[in-house]
Amino acid sequence: MPRVIIYSSFVLLLLLAVPPAIVAKIRSTPSEGRPIHIVQDMDYQSKFKTQTPNPLFADDRAMRQPVPGAVARGEVFDDPHFHEGTLDDGSWASEFPARIDVDLEFVERGKQRFGIYCAVCHGDAGYGDGIVNERAMTLMANADGPLQGTAWVQPKSVHAPEVAAQPVGQIFHSISKGIRNMAGYEAQIATEDRWAIVAYVRALQLSQNAPAGLRAEATR
Amino acid sequence: MSRFLFPKWSNLLLPGLIAAGAVMPLYAVFFVAYGFSPKTLDAGYQPVQPVPFSHALHAGQLGMDCRYCHNTVEDASHAAVPPTQTCMNCHTQIRPESPKLVEVQESYRTGKPIEWIRIHKLGDYSYFNHAAHVNRGVGCVSCHGRIDQMEVVYQSQPLSMGWCLDCHRNPEPHLRPVSEVTNMAYQPEFELTDTEREGLLAKYDIHPSENCSTCHR
Repeated sequence: MPRVIIYSSFVLLLLLAVPPAIVAKIRSTPSEGRPIHIVQDMDYQSKFKTQTPNPLFADDRAMRQPVPGAVARGEVFDDPHFHEGTLDDGSWASEFPARIDVDLEFVERGKQRFGIYCAVCHGDAGYGDGIVNERAMTLMANADGPLQGTAWVQPKSVHAPEVAAQPVGQIFHSISKGIRNMAGYEAQIATEDRWAIVAYVRALQLSQNAPAGLRAEATR
Repeated sequence: MSRFLFPKWSNLLLPGLIAAGAVMPLYAVFFVAYGFSPKTLDAGYQPVQPVPFSHALHAGQLGMDCRYCHNTVEDASHAAVPPTQTCMNCHTQIRPESPKLVEVQESYRTGKPIEWIRIHKLGDYSYFNHAAHVNRGVGCVSCHGRIDQMEVVYQSQPLSMGWCLDCHRNPEPHLRPVSEVTNMAYQPEFELTDTEREGLLAKYDIHPSENCSTCHR
């Protein structure tokens, strides 16, 4: 058999191994290339879904912003105690709103929400020593690259006497609207969950400053 | 004039061609199945985002809960990309002048959303509900992979119909207590026994449907 035929069939066999090798490479490494759909079916339809762009509007959003003054279902402002933590005379409410049952389940919900939204800065026990605070302190000490404008003030401990003395309505208001450097969380956390967090903060405050004999009384 | 005679080796050509004719279709079938599968074409998509946000830092090193930013996931079908305000909860004070945050600051000033590039995308004819899954003990990591270890997020699973059905037909190995859904390191197979996982099936009232209309509505 002529050499050329033997060699070219070897080359051909080697070439056959190239496409699977390329595929294996694609499968094993992330890449910037958009997913390719060979059979399109109706994968990409000309409709607008949640958080998609729409070039017809000046701000490019398919989801329109509500008209100023619009009230969403279930968000009627009918109870300043529940929505703002204030009583009719404008003073801070010192009780939880009547529509809320403060039971164990509610406090546990508050604990979970506190863990998600608050503990990152305020710490699991509320002393203002969360992981973001630690990170910010590291940056402030110039220990991890340039400052780039970092100006961090340690979050307030929920056990500080002036916070412990606040009525629940005031704590609720601070969570909702923000205070000093802290942003308001009313857009991020549902109203009822913010009250649950208040309940958990109260539980934390009690747990860290429990009067002598309280535990004995509870376990009696 | 001498007659042309086929050399003796040419007898090999016919069996050779038959062998190639038998193997090539197999090769083609294998190549299409392997090369055109969603595991090849869809998984691994890692676009460059307008802001070099690191999930490895925020969700991994800092251990922030997924829901701090993606806070609609328990109530809505869509796990929202957070508004710029969420970034600014911290970044008004932490490195506000960082060049990596230029786009974020710009968006915060103008109110124009940051144009994040969507990675995990199903066909427009399928309707996935995040709330239905995370409230019944399917962890984020099952579909999104170890986001907490990704400097730049990529799609780690094929998100194909067959892949969805794998779990809908046999959900137990992927179930965990609802309190652990955002725990990226939780491994149900080590931390729960089979009986406990089957218990979750009853506890969360899980009946994963295989009807077409479950997802294609």
